[in-house]
Amino acid sequence: MRKKFTGVVAIAAIAAIAAIGLTGCSTTASTDTASAKPFKVIAFTSGNQTPIGAWWVKAVTAEAATNGWELTMIQGDFDFTKMNPAVESAIGQGADAIFDGYTDVASIGSIVTAAKDAKIPIFAMDSATAVSDAFVTNITTNQQGIVDQTLGAISAKIGGLKGKNIMVIGHDPHPGIRMRAGLAKDALIKAGANIAGGDVQKVKSPATGRTEALALVADYLTAHPGGLDAVWVGWDDAALGALKGVTEAGSAAVVTGVDASSEAIAGIEAGGNFLATIDQPWPSILKMIDADLLAYQKDGTLPAKSFIAVDANLVDITNAATTTPSDKL
Amino acid sequence: MSTTNAPAKPGRSLGRTLLQGGTVIALIALIAFFFAMRPDVFLSFTNVKNILFQVSILAIIASAQTVVMVVGDFDLSLGATSSLAGAVAAALMLGGVPMWTAISVAAGVGLLIGLANGFLIAYLRLSAFVATLATMTSVVGLAYLVTAGTTLFSLPEGFNNLGQGKFLNVPLPVYIAIVISLIIWGTLRFTTIGRSWHATGGNQEVARLSGVNVRRARLLAFTLAGLVSAIGGILLAARLGSASAVQGSDNMMFSVAAVFLGMTVIRSGMANLGGTMVGVTIIGVMSNGLNILGVNSYVQQVVTGLIIIAAVTLSSLKNRER
Repeated sequence: MRKKFTGVVAIAAIAAIAAIGLTGCSTTASTDTASAKPFKVIAFTSGNQTPIGAWWVKAVTAEAATNGWELTMIQGDFDFTKMNPAVESAIGQGADAIFDGYTDVASIGSIVTAAKDAKIPIFAMDSATAVSDAFVTNITTNQQGIVDQTLGAISAKIGGLKGKNIMVIGHDPHPGIRMRAGLAKDALIKAGANIAGGDVQKVKSPATGRTEALALVADYLTAHPGGLDAVWVGWDDAALGALKGVTEAGSAAVVTGVDASSEAIAGIEAGGNFLATIDQPWPSILKMIDADLLAYQKDGTLPAKSFIAVDANLVDITNAATTTPSDKL
Repeated sequence: MSTTNAPAKPGRSLGRTLLQGGTVIALIALIAFFFAMRPDVFLSFTNVKNILFQVSILAIIASAQTVVMVVGDFDLSLGATSSLAGAVAAALMLGGVPMWTAISVAAGVGLLIGLANGFLIAYLRLSAFVATLATMTSVVGLAYLVTAGTTLFSLPEGFNNLGQGKFLNVPLPVYIAIVISLIIWGTLRFTTIGRSWHATGGNQEVARLSGVNVRRARLLAFTLAGLVSAIGGILLAARLGSASAVQGSDNMMFSVAAVFLGMTVIRSGMANLGGTMVGVTIIGVMSNGLNILGVNSYVQQVVTGLIIIAAVTLSSLKNRER
């Protein structure tokens, strides 16, 4: 009995020592924390289910760990009614900076208001196609440059644009695609090309973009056999549908996309009708915003420019093999 | 319960005749309109083949939806199930699994999802809306997990041929859609389970009192729908040569629309496979015809919705008349 009691006391003593030790550790940690005062960043994206959005979540999480930031990462799954209140709630708990990834300014009005009320700056990546006072900086890609490069490739391949029949496929809800599709249409009209169907052909949903683009091209070529010289598409997934429509119809029309997805690059390497795509330099853009955030963390310096459009790179048969696909970043 | 049209009574008013045959008349009118607008193109072999190719996968998924709607339910998860099945088949083949094994497993996944839906609805008495909405949510998540959020491509050529190959210059999915539709039509019309489904859809209590195992009938209906929609999804992946988590998502809405359109074709106003095929054809003809005329896709969507409203209104008027 006595032995048993001694054992219990011994275990209790060990537990007490351990508890004191842990408390000590905890106290030390909180003291350290208090003195260091971690830089708190709220990061959010609605596009986490896309390959690039998923990459962004991982990359920002890794950057935060490297920089010692206290990160709150909110993933919206394209559901703004879920994402916006979650971000506003995080703002209510306090933060030093907010980082918007690929979420259009038009969809985050309530977040912008909450951030302004709390005097927290929003740093953004591909979140608007023009200057916006919602962000202290927004770095995206140069849409006009994307259009110039893809149309340049088409022009070189089909011997100029004048008098050529070219279909433009866009998707209005995505501001970047909407802008570049409009720019492509304007540039083609200016160059004397005919816009197939008279206007930008609009895909309704990105989820079914490939089948919608396939049907658009197949039906157009049925009605106008041999009636296309090229198809300019605002993003790769729909471009791959257009490519299938073109090849199944036995048309020689060339197709361009934007995104540099693995499948698009494989299509270019196959040497068929898929002429080119665009590689948008997201990793280097992320580095630029990372540097802006570090400067702000250091002494409150805000970025010099509120909008930067970075040039993108054309991917064609000459460099497809050496380009890292956007879904393999 | 019979789905056979009763012969028209002599002296029937023109209004009633139009009401009875409204959907078929609408289809004929659509074909006549598009033919008049583009006589050189619309009814050409190439374009008819094009329309059949474009609606073949929808026809398969709408067949699945018909089975569930015959029982008096509906399944919101069919589009998601088809996407998941395509993704599973693609992922397995890219992982080195032989083609037919991958297809069988993917079809099995669809069957299991249908079985789960049927169990939730028939045995746990959840409403079809809630159960299939919940299943759809989980299935979409599973499809994202299987594809890792990307598009799976570089599928074996033999697999792609299932969706892109041709026999007598007609795409294989057209034949597959016809075979599946005929099997489902035969099952609904000539088998005991088909008659049980009709009885259950007519009045569950009466069916039960007549000796029909209503719960088993509903379970089997959802299970078959899951399997058939999975076949549709596998074919869609073969058709596109790729698979993503959401690529069949619009088929759910259009399959319900096709069944509703088809319900107006027969006098009883119930879901029926022949009518569904008329509905599928209307959707396909309209999309193709409007594309050929260069009509904006947003306008197309408005017109599609209006035609469905008109058809359902027609169906409701007929039911009131009965």
